Amino acid sequence: MDGRVSLDRVAMRFGDFTAIQPTSLEIQSGEFFSFLGPSGCGKTTLLNIISGFLTPSEGKVSIGGEEMIRVPVNRRPTAMIFQNLALFPLMSVYDNIEFGLEVRGVDRSARRRKADELLELVALGGSGHKPVSELSGGQKQRIAIARALAVEPRVLLLDEPLSALDLKLRQHMRTELKAIQRQTGITFIYITHDQGEALTMSDRVAVMSAGRIEQIADPMTLYRDPATAFVAGFVGENNRLAGHVTAADGELVTLDAGLAVAVSGRARQPLAVGDSASLYVRPEQWRVGTPDDLRLPFSGIVQAEHFEGAWLTLEVALDSGPTLRVQVPHVVTGDGVDAQLRVGGSCRLDYSPREAVVLPGAEPSPEAGEVADVAATA
Amino acid sequence: MWQQLHNRFGLPLTMAIVGLLGVWLILMVLLPQWQMIDYSFHPSLLPSERGGEKDVWTLANYVTFFHNDIHLAIFFKTIWSSVLVTALTLVVSYPLAYYLAKVATPGQAALCLLLLIVPFWINEILRTFAWYIIFAFRGPLNELLFALGLIDRPIRFLNGDTGVLVGMVYAYILFMVFPLYNAIESLDGNQIRAARDLGAGWLRTHRRIVIPHAKPGIATGCIMTFMLAAGSYAVPALLGSPGSRWFTQIIYNWFFEGGDWNQGAAYAFLLLALCILFVTLVMRIFKVGLGDIAK
Repeated sequence: MDGRVSLDRVAMRFGDFTAIQPTSLEIQSGEFFSFLGPSGCGKTTLLNIISGFLTPSEGKVSIGGEEMIRVPVNRRPTAMIFQNLALFPLMSVYDNIEFGLEVRGVDRSARRRKADELLELVALGGSGHKPVSELSGGQKQRIAIARALAVEPRVLLLDEPLSALDLKLRQHMRTELKAIQRQTGITFIYITHDQGEALTMSDRVAVMSAGRIEQIADPMTLYRDPATAFVAGFVGENNRLAGHVTAADGELVTLDAGLAVAVSGRARQPLAVGDSASLYVRPEQWRVGTPDDLRLPFSGIVQAEHFEGAWLTLEVALDSGPTLRVQVPHVVTGDGVDAQLRVGGSCRLDYSPREAVVLPGAEPSPEAGEVADVAATA
Repeated sequence: MWQQLHNRFGLPLTMAIVGLLGVWLILMVLLPQWQMIDYSFHPSLLPSERGGEKDVWTLANYVTFFHNDIHLAIFFKTIWSSVLVTALTLVVSYPLAYYLAKVATPGQAALCLLLLIVPFWINEILRTFAWYIIFAFRGPLNELLFALGLIDRPIRFLNGDTGVLVGMVYAYILFMVFPLYNAIESLDGNQIRAARDLGAGWLRTHRRIVIPHAKPGIATGCIMTFMLAAGSYAVPALLGSPGSRWFTQIIYNWFFEGGDWNQGAAYAFLLLALCILFVTLVMRIFKVGLGDIAK
């Protein structure tokens, strides 16, 4: 079963508005691929183009090597799981799951066998005769998966299907979706604005912004090596220190960010002395020490503390101005660094330049709202 | 109910509400109906004979009906034609309602609804006359068909049932479109998309998803259209011919030409009873309850 999906310069315009910039993309057969981006970035439009609900203004879509543009939605080898699931409320669980098979003219007993198989797969065996209205949120979720899998799609499209569930159930369903994907070997294309979902389940993630793909990479690369300022800000939390390049030594680049000491990090692309650039250091990459630990070059004052269970997040105002978000592990015995940190108290900080990333441009990415914007006036 | 109203509105307002409701029910609904029932079970008498020995309870008025083959035939023809009108109206209204509810942009839908409603600002008789003109032997419709080369001689539309059917579909289309529109509008668009996505063609999507969802609306529209059609007078009187007479015309004749109100009342009740029976039957068949219709 060939579930490759390829987009060839696909673009979508609605009147004057460009929803998707020309985009080319290859998704492997059997891959769990996610589109991650804020609402309005065009990810749902892209999903609708793959499923056939929308015809792109330009470009080609093929699935398993077959050209799809002229194939209507009901004849594409895809199945969609909708955000609101869209189970048929007037039908029983069996009728929902068997709908696609009934359409394909599969006879009654074969349909029922398949439905029972799928109910076992989603761990809801024996509930086939229930009306859909009697199911809980999580059960409805599973029935929606079973209904989509019943038509044996080559590609399963999932449009933020977990967003309606509560936190615990959502985390549980992530594991389950991933397991189902492995078991069936079907290509999953998953749309979400929740980076937790994208990072935990996907083989690869495409981060989208304003109708464009910013970066396609596996989750770890995405987190460690963001290719653009948008990705650096959108995926996970980041501290941005803006300045200009003072030294470029191979991969390591040093910036003057207006702090007491120069900062440096890995550059993904060559930068020349004098270029404006930003250094990104994630909150958990900071090492925090007591005020007398002079091995740590940066010093600051704790402005606020947020207790988050495993982590304690601090807002630390550096002496030279910008405020950083810093995470330290929470130590239950009370003899860790966290016990000595008090709001209003001072502390010292350091990070490892090998972990930090330098990207060109001193301006914050306009859409990446989650960047703790600490740009110093350089 | 009294207690609820009393708690909410206090005694004087509650008495006023219940009182008005009672007056409305008794004066406007029960009394006139009772009067007609009373008429239907008495012989038609001269004023001087009323209250005399001839003024007895009798089934004679009902018996007359069952002995008159022509009236019986017209009666069943009326029911049958009303069914036909209802079916035709449904067939015409369903695509329109679907378009309005699920396809049209809000602007298009508003324009379409306006176009549908505007003709209804004109009196029903005048609208029916408009069709009389359109359907005339040398009228615009014949001219158009002739000019298009579809016919080589004019058709007498007003001769049989054609005019009556078209006139009624036109007259009652809103009573079908609105319940259908309301019902289809409440369907989640993703349901339709999901059915398509699972491979269903348009016909199956409508048959399995849209129509089952719209069933209460369809039932409401059909019942209203059927009742209005069966009780229609103006359309068959204007657009029909003696061959396509409606039962209401017979009732009218008993009242105003025969002057026999008692006989007319009996006929009117027969029509009412049959309509109620028919509607109940339809609701049974389509498994629709009164509650669904009230929605």
